[in-house]
Amino acid sequence: MAMEYKYIEFNEGWEFIQEGIKKLKRIVEGSPEPDFNSEERMTLYNTIYNMCTQRPPFDYSQRLYDKYGETFEEYITSAVLPSLREGQNEVIMLQVLVRSWEKHKVLETWLSRFFHYLDRYFIPRKSLRRLSDVGRNCFRDLVCRDLSANVRNAVLGLIHKEREGEQIDRALLKKVIDVFVEIGKGQMDVYIEDLEACLLKDTGEYYSRKASSWIAEEYSYADYMVKAEECLRKEWESASHYLPPSSEQKLVRTVQHELFEPLADVLVRQKVTDELAPLFQHVEDSARNQASSIGAGMPAQVLITDLVELHDKYTAYVNDCFRNYYHFHKALNEAFEVFCNKVVAGSSCAELLAAFCDDLLKKGGCEKLSGDQGIEETLEKAIKTLLPYISDKDHFAEFYRKRLARRLLFDRSANKDHEKSVITKMKQQCGGQFTSKMEGMVTDWTLARDTQNSFEEYLRCNQNINPGMDLAVTVLTTGSWPSYESFNLNLPAEMRICVEIFKGYYETKTKHRKLTWVYSLGSCHIIGKFEPKTIELVVSTYQAALLLLFNTADRLSYSEISCQLNLPENALVRILHSLSCGRYKVLIKEPNTKIISPNDTFEFNSMFTDRMIRIKIPLPPVDHERKEVMKDVDKDRRYAIDAAIVRIMKSQKVFGHQELVIECVEQLRHMFKPDIKTIKKRIEDLITRDYLERDKENQKVYRYVV
Amino acid sequence: MPKLSQKKCQWNVQPATKEYSAQLPSHPNPRNLQYPPKQTPVEELYRRYKDPHEEMIMAEGMSRLCTDLDVDPQDIVMLVMSWHMKAATMCEFSKQEFFNGLKALKIDSIEKFRSALPSMRSELKDKDKFKEVYNFTFDWAKEKGQKSLQLDTAIGMWQLLFAEMTPKWPYVDQWCEFLEERHKLAIPKDTWNQLLDFVRNVDPSLSNFDEERAWPCLVDDFVDYLKEKGLVQTT
Repeated sequence: MAMEYKYIEFNEGWEFIQEGIKKLKRIVEGSPEPDFNSEERMTLYNTIYNMCTQRPPFDYSQRLYDKYGETFEEYITSAVLPSLREGQNEVIMLQVLVRSWEKHKVLETWLSRFFHYLDRYFIPRKSLRRLSDVGRNCFRDLVCRDLSANVRNAVLGLIHKEREGEQIDRALLKKVIDVFVEIGKGQMDVYIEDLEACLLKDTGEYYSRKASSWIAEEYSYADYMVKAEECLRKEWESASHYLPPSSEQKLVRTVQHELFEPLADVLVRQKVTDELAPLFQHVEDSARNQASSIGAGMPAQVLITDLVELHDKYTAYVNDCFRNYYHFHKALNEAFEVFCNKVVAGSSCAELLAAFCDDLLKKGGCEKLSGDQGIEETLEKAIKTLLPYISDKDHFAEFYRKRLARRLLFDRSANKDHEKSVITKMKQQCGGQFTSKMEGMVTDWTLARDTQNSFEEYLRCNQNINPGMDLAVTVLTTGSWPSYESFNLNLPAEMRICVEIFKGYYETKTKHRKLTWVYSLGSCHIIGKFEPKTIELVVSTYQAALLLLFNTADRLSYSEISCQLNLPENALVRILHSLSCGRYKVLIKEPNTKIISPNDTFEFNSMFTDRMIRIKIPLPPVDHERKEVMKDVDKDRRYAIDAAIVRIMKSQKVFGHQELVIECVEQLRHMFKPDIKTIKKRIEDLITRDYLERDKENQKVYRYVV
Repeated sequence: MPKLSQKKCQWNVQPATKEYSAQLPSHPNPRNLQYPPKQTPVEELYRRYKDPHEEMIMAEGMSRLCTDLDVDPQDIVMLVMSWHMKAATMCEFSKQEFFNGLKALKIDSIEKFRSALPSMRSELKDKDKFKEVYNFTFDWAKEKGQKSLQLDTAIGMWQLLFAEMTPKWPYVDQWCEFLEERHKLAIPKDTWNQLLDFVRNVDPSLSNFDEERAWPCLVDDFVDYLKEKGLVQTT
């Protein structure tokens, strides 16, 4: 017997379902109505199940799905919105909202059970919104979006009242906020967009007004801090009552920012600036006057000491009086950063700090210290305090190295251990790369002693080799030391023998190493047999070579000297000036003027004398040092940028221009602030050198060329 | 043979060997003696312009070719022709380049050659082809073994190329002035290639000049120069 299956027509089925929905609404609205019994529930579910499983064209899944949504829309527009829109006060509106949401949740729970079959098969297949989402979205779109401005203002109004000291219904507030959280179903986006953003903005404005009024009323900083902390405590407390935990932090941070930022600005940034500006001005002025008044003090010494002192003072201030809040530290750091990157009296702070270290590490440096602090502590403190603020740390390193070289080579360093310990401190602070060259220099210097001993031993063992004078050689590693200008001087025969002997010795020790002689750093003790008495002259190698020419001649013209020494003109003029126009006139210049000219002649001053038996004839240093250091630094920077770019591109292979620049700055930040334009130029150069290429499609993107 | 050339070079061995080896190509190696009895028309053309000492067409042959074609050697059509020939160097065609080029252009007589010129010239109106010719110019015009293009050559080439471009780039003269006044250095390939993009895509008011677009520094500098001198055109 074939059973004729009876299809349910849509209208017929829907009418039945509608009855169920009406009953549900009555229950939700609280009318006296018996609950659904299990049979009713089953029939409703079955009806829907059947309507969804009938063969097409009797498969009503889509229509039922649509009806499901419409049910919510209809319910919200007819029952919820009117009650919310009635012109009642804000508290009542919020209460209605909370109640509506509760009802909505009940409605949604039941309805989604009846329509559950849709959720199981039809919805996943069509990838439609799930039933629970349909209900929530309806509520969100129709209620929250529509009324969000009203609700928001009501919520903010309540919070404002509480801030002003009124009692409010915190439980209600929490429920309202929960509505926003719950609508998001685990996502906070509705809450964040519709409520939190405004709450934070409003809070910020509120406390910003507070802060200005407190400052305007000239609260003492102590009162201000008490007030501010009281506000913070209250905000914490009330936030914990009604805000989701994720908001508490944000809220408190906003309050802190608004309350402390202005105070930090007034009490730290401005004060520090007010104190630092005159210091810098003073150094600037004294540097300007130094030309006229001799010995106006050492600007580096004074400025660095003052800076460290001020920093100490304000750090204590921030820690104790401002409870170590981040905002005050930031203000302090920013103020110092501005000053530590200023150029004062033609020098950067990097340069001054290096000079400061030099002053203390030089022989006699400890006498310059006033307090009872040791040299090491003072230096460590200065470096630790100020170096982090200097953005061009490579400048500092380069200036420091120049000065270190001079201390080591001219035997001006007071204490080897101090040198080492300062470098160790810098290494801890800035990393091994920063100090590797300095360490190399100190190592060379230590080894030089051993080399010298072993050389003397060598001479003792080989009696046939005799340099004819005492010779000390310091062997330095190229690369660690600053580069020095060196001329191809024609050495006098006596010195040439020395050089050859040392070469011979050095070859017995090492192979494959090339010695380059830097005469500009050498010094000589020569005995001058003047008629009144014999005087020992301490002179540079250049000066000595020049003086030795007068062993074979009493009178020499400028051009004869020039020809025999093979020195460039400017160097020769400088040396001749030191010997014939300076304090010690070992040579008599003809004509007797203060300027060296190519037509001058020079004669050994046999009548020269001095009250001392040993004198040092200084050779004024060439005054291009600063420019040179900058040039060296620039060159090193180019290499550093190239290396950074290649490193980044090697790991990224394909990388956008902006990202590359940002990453490059980030990588180099601990050493210096690279100029964006220079980075761009380096990128172009690397393209030309085939390390990189532009992407064919996107000009903003580079590829690493393997 | 050696005897003869030695006489000509008055017994100086070095020039003599040079002379000798220079003459070699015109005297085919005995092993290659199965020479086709009749030369192909392209070969005939090639022989007409070939350098007497080198196996290629050089400056002098090129100028004869220009005369026969009735064009000025400075005419941009010669650049387009070189592009078709895939010539490696300015004012030169190797034998290979000449043969392959003419084959691709389907030219085997001077008449056909001459009549192909107008269409070559009009190829520059095609945006993509213009770009190809433009990019080709850099390697073609630069001195061998160098990575960059000499500034004066670059300026010459830009003037030549931009004169053909439609719509005209309003800043050609300013660009050249800027380079002579401020830059004074050779031009890298990236800058050369990027400039065309700049010329084509950035409008004269510079309103759509995007600094983040990674333009070469020279282009950035030029934009600054235009602004500084108040030369930016407003639309």
